[in-house]
Amino acid sequence: MLVIITNNPLIQESFGSTYTVDYEALSYDDILIKIRDAVHRGASILTHPLYGSVKPKETPYRSVLMEMREGPVDMDSLLLIEQTIASAGKFPNKSAGYDEATLNDCKIIDLSLLQGALRSM
Amino acid sequence: MKLELGKIYIKDIKFDDSQRIEDGVLYVSKEELTKIALSDDHLASAEFDIAKPGESVRITPVKDVIEPRVKVEGSGGVFPGWIAKVDTVGSGKTYALKGMAVVTAGPIVGFQEGVIDMTGPGADYTPFSKTINLVMVCKPVEGLKQHAYEKAVRLAGFRVAAAIGELARSLEPDETVVYETCTIKEGLQKYPDLPRVAYVHMLQSQGLLHDTYVYGVDAKQILPTIVSPTETFDGAIVSGNCVSACDKNPTYVHQNNPVVEELFKQHGKTINFVCHILTNENVFLADKERSSFFTAKICKMLDLDGVIISEEGFGNPDTDLIMNCKKITAEGIKTVIITDEYAGRDGKSQSLADAHASADAVVTAGNANEVVILPKLDKVIGTLDYINKIAGASEETLREDGSLEVEIQVITGATSEVGFGCLSAR
Repeated sequence: MLVIITNNPLIQESFGSTYTVDYEALSYDDILIKIRDAVHRGASILTHPLYGSVKPKETPYRSVLMEMREGPVDMDSLLLIEQTIASAGKFPNKSAGYDEATLNDCKIIDLSLLQGALRSM
Repeated sequence: MKLELGKIYIKDIKFDDSQRIEDGVLYVSKEELTKIALSDDHLASAEFDIAKPGESVRITPVKDVIEPRVKVEGSGGVFPGWIAKVDTVGSGKTYALKGMAVVTAGPIVGFQEGVIDMTGPGADYTPFSKTINLVMVCKPVEGLKQHAYEKAVRLAGFRVAAAIGELARSLEPDETVVYETCTIKEGLQKYPDLPRVAYVHMLQSQGLLHDTYVYGVDAKQILPTIVSPTETFDGAIVSGNCVSACDKNPTYVHQNNPVVEELFKQHGKTINFVCHILTNENVFLADKERSSFFTAKICKMLDLDGVIISEEGFGNPDTDLIMNCKKITAEGIKTVIITDEYAGRDGKSQSLADAHASADAVVTAGNANEVVILPKLDKVIGTLDYINKIAGASEETLREDGSLEVEIQVITGATSEVGFGCLSAR
């Protein structure tokens, strides 16, 4: 089953009626951990978990499309999410002091990156 | 294809009532330029300013940088698919206004970087401190969404650059450079003993402020394709892409791609420069696989001996870079990759988010995490409102004395992955 794992409320609003959206108000680090846990259970990652060019944790939001299933671990997905967690670890959390307008811009960019991927499915 | 590129050197830009180029001085009318910029009803205002090398001026946030050009002979026109109708460009005669640029600036989103300092240590990191810059800051009509705002500013920049380029149509160039490519068969006959080399040019194509366009087509929707390297000189590739300003290719860099320039210099001497291969950098992993398989297949079908691969951006595109490198190498073709690094402020961290043993010939454009202090400058074109939020900055960036402590990733073109930068190991 295809599931979008996200901490971006705009994804729920925009795609909630057409895709299965697993929204939870988690931190950037915790959303990556949630993805890793799903991979441990057998899920595959379909969209790259490293953001476009907005650096990890420069935005609080991350949305990743996954093929959810239980079974043997997809090693490509595991390598990808571990590399992403290691990469994100190099960046400080920048978004704590963002105002509403900037947070909204972050949501829109996250939505745009996912839209681009969903269009090519 | 044969393209004659006539260079007209601009020594100064001045505001005036009538627009013209005289004795190397470009005269532009604010009123005329504003009309051209605001012909799109998404924009409420456009302000113009001039920033010259050595002046105490900081331009931020920068969106795009464009070199004015005009097509004087041959098919098509500049920026095909946007300004000119879609027709194959890259042959005939084109004039370029050298030594100047049109810079579009202004915040589309609230964390957008892109700094050009015209003097001081920041100027040493950006190639656009050496050009006389006509800067345009556009504001949107109320309620305009980010996507529409981005497109409106992008197109306004092209319109203004094309209108300025038109002023050169009847001039005599100061210098002319001729670029000529051969067909596959001609190349084999003319240079049977030279290695067959192509350029694999990766285009950022992930979404809002991360897009690049080829003949008007969003690059995320293309399959890898081949073009004549002269086509880029006429604006066949344009940028809609400015997040992480250090390693993004503004339109100016596509028009003056140094990898293409250098390959042309070696064409017929040490290599046979076969073609320019365009590929994308998408978000969907299946797209990454598909595009890299197509790129490798094209390289194989062209019987290449070697390729230069340039990346655009960092992180997620590292995956595309390594996939291209791995799959092209597996076809028995030698590869050299050009990238930049995010190796931490101390330079000790893993530089790329992906790696493979086939990536054994790498040119680095520098460490984007390197910290610099940019002194306070007298004038800001644009706004410093977001400076503490942008990538490479922090809450401590704007210091009491007005100086900025930032990583060089905030500076437009600082670690250009096509080598259009100032950093060197020499």
